[in-house]
Amino acid sequence: MSAIIEMRGISKTYRRGGEVLKVLDEVDLTVEAGDFVALMGPSGSGKSTILNLVGGLDRPDGYGKGQAGGKILVAGLDVTAMSDRELPNWRARHIGFVFQAFNLVPVLTAYENVLLPLLLTPLDRAQRKKQAEFALEVVGLADRMHHRPRQLSGGQEQRVAIARAIATDPDIVLADEPTGDLDRASADAVMDLLERLNTEMGKTFMVVTHDPMVGERARRTMHVDKGLLVDGLPAPHGATAGGAPA
Amino acid sequence: MRTPWSLVPRHLRTHWVRSGLTVAALVLALFLFCTVRSVVTTLDSAVTSAANNRLFVQSAVSLYVDMPVDYRDKIAQVDGVQSVTYFQWFGGYYEDEKNFFAQFAVDHHVFFDMYRKDIRIVEGPGGVTGEAAWDAAVKAMDSDRRACLVGTGLVREFGWKVGQTIPIVPKIFVKSDGSSWDMNIVGVYEPTKSNVDDRTIWFRWDYLFETMTAEGRGFDGTGAYAVNMEPGADAARVIADIDALFANGPQRTKTTTEAAFQATFVAMMGNVPVFMGTIGGAIVFAVLFSVVNTMLMAARQREHETGILKALGFRDGVLVRLVLVESLVLSGLGGGLGLLLAKISEEGLRHVFGVMLPGYAVEWRTLGLGALLTLAVGVVSAVAPALTLARLRPVDALRSEG
Repeated sequence: MSAIIEMRGISKTYRRGGEVLKVLDEVDLTVEAGDFVALMGPSGSGKSTILNLVGGLDRPDGYGKGQAGGKILVAGLDVTAMSDRELPNWRARHIGFVFQAFNLVPVLTAYENVLLPLLLTPLDRAQRKKQAEFALEVVGLADRMHHRPRQLSGGQEQRVAIARAIATDPDIVLADEPTGDLDRASADAVMDLLERLNTEMGKTFMVVTHDPMVGERARRTMHVDKGLLVDGLPAPHGATAGGAPA
Repeated sequence: MRTPWSLVPRHLRTHWVRSGLTVAALVLALFLFCTVRSVVTTLDSAVTSAANNRLFVQSAVSLYVDMPVDYRDKIAQVDGVQSVTYFQWFGGYYEDEKNFFAQFAVDHHVFFDMYRKDIRIVEGPGGVTGEAAWDAAVKAMDSDRRACLVGTGLVREFGWKVGQTIPIVPKIFVKSDGSSWDMNIVGVYEPTKSNVDDRTIWFRWDYLFETMTAEGRGFDGTGAYAVNMEPGADAARVIADIDALFANGPQRTKTTTEAAFQATFVAMMGNVPVFMGTIGGAIVFAVLFSVVNTMLMAARQREHETGILKALGFRDGVLVRLVLVESLVLSGLGGGLGLLLAKISEEGLRHVFGVMLPGYAVEWRTLGLGALLTLAVGVVSAVAPALTLARLRPVDALRSEG
């Protein structure tokens, strides 16, 4: 397998009021194509920040200031070198997002939500329709496609969000707490779906989670804490590095 | 890059109360703007469309002071004067005091020639129409002392017909037996100039003069004379000559062009036209702020959705377009309905304004200006919210509450 995500020496600092908070400190990360990686760690440890940086939703320290910062390579392209104008196009082509709060557009139906990212592709109307219907079929919601988000259960909403994430056939799906707002049964169903998409469609998954079940089902688990990233489950009692990939 | 246009009607429908109230505010604002401006343009047009060969002679003291009737023949002798007629305000009403409109006693022989370019006779006696109506009406006016010419506005309002006798109740020229003045309609005129009211009655001056003389009430004056000049006559000289003629009395005169005469009625309103114009502008500004506020609220509620769209890969330009189009739809709907309302209420308002503002009309220029204002409101209202959303970083927008 080849690396599809490579982070080299990435730092991220937030300023809140007068306080400077360094959440990532020269982090390195490599994710192989087709992998299923779970990022775990306490709240505020920087898990979601890594996801946002990989997805080009946020910028690492040093960007735009001419400083020699780190690099984020996704599918061989340097995300940190892209302009604000280039990033949206790149994101539309390569990345699918799944969020904890589902983030569906409430005024649109499930079908229309899935259709949204397809508007950014060169597909014609008929192809877009076919692709959206296929994505909803994959997540088992073909019979709910004309429902608005508020007419769906939490688990169904998340499955629509997953259909939206895979509709454009992206290389990578980034999921931020995809089971965070779901009950156990719905969370299991969503994980079943993500695993199936990973194994059957070969999508690379990077999932931020607090849920130990998700960590257990991922092929590889990484732990983020105090700005550092280590492979494996969190080490007990003060150890700073974990063992082999799960 | 394609734009998810379906979001625009969905947002408008989802917040239908807010959308409806904004549209209603715009309807009212544009209607008021057009109406107020039309009052001003109607007043202006009375001045600008005045005949440039016509003068009005009134008492130098006031329009309400009569001049001797023998002034007519003296004015007619002035070099450059083509024709002169009495122009006596009658001040009566039809059946009910609220049915108030202008009636003027005129020298009908002169009047028809003098107003050939200002009015068209649309129906003469016996239902004659077209070109022949004019001559038929003149002939009927000659043969009937009680004959009168009525405007199309009055015919529409009261359902009068040619050949009908209408009783006009006097307020100034009251007869000893208290009876009304019967007038026989011999023709219906339609104004061809905007400064001519379509709610006026013109009747024979000798009917007024002889009746009042027979009443023993005495009648020795007229309120104004209308004078038509010969082609090429120097208006300033003719004015000076007429006024010089009566400089030593018995009643000094003040002669003006028709435009200046009309302007005195506008001037009587003082700064009202300016005030009204200011109000019209202020209304639109007030509503502009309201629409800006609406769009800012909409943008604030849409920050989270903006984050979603940005995360999916939609560019800032798409978000700007969505806000701009939504704002234009709102303002276009409200403004368009307001303009439509102003135009379709034109006839009704002309009736309401009546003799106070004859010829009230909503000009196409006013509607065009209203349309431009509507467009400006739409664009200006979209600027702040569109920039706010475009500047949001996707990660911050996603954190905001939807």
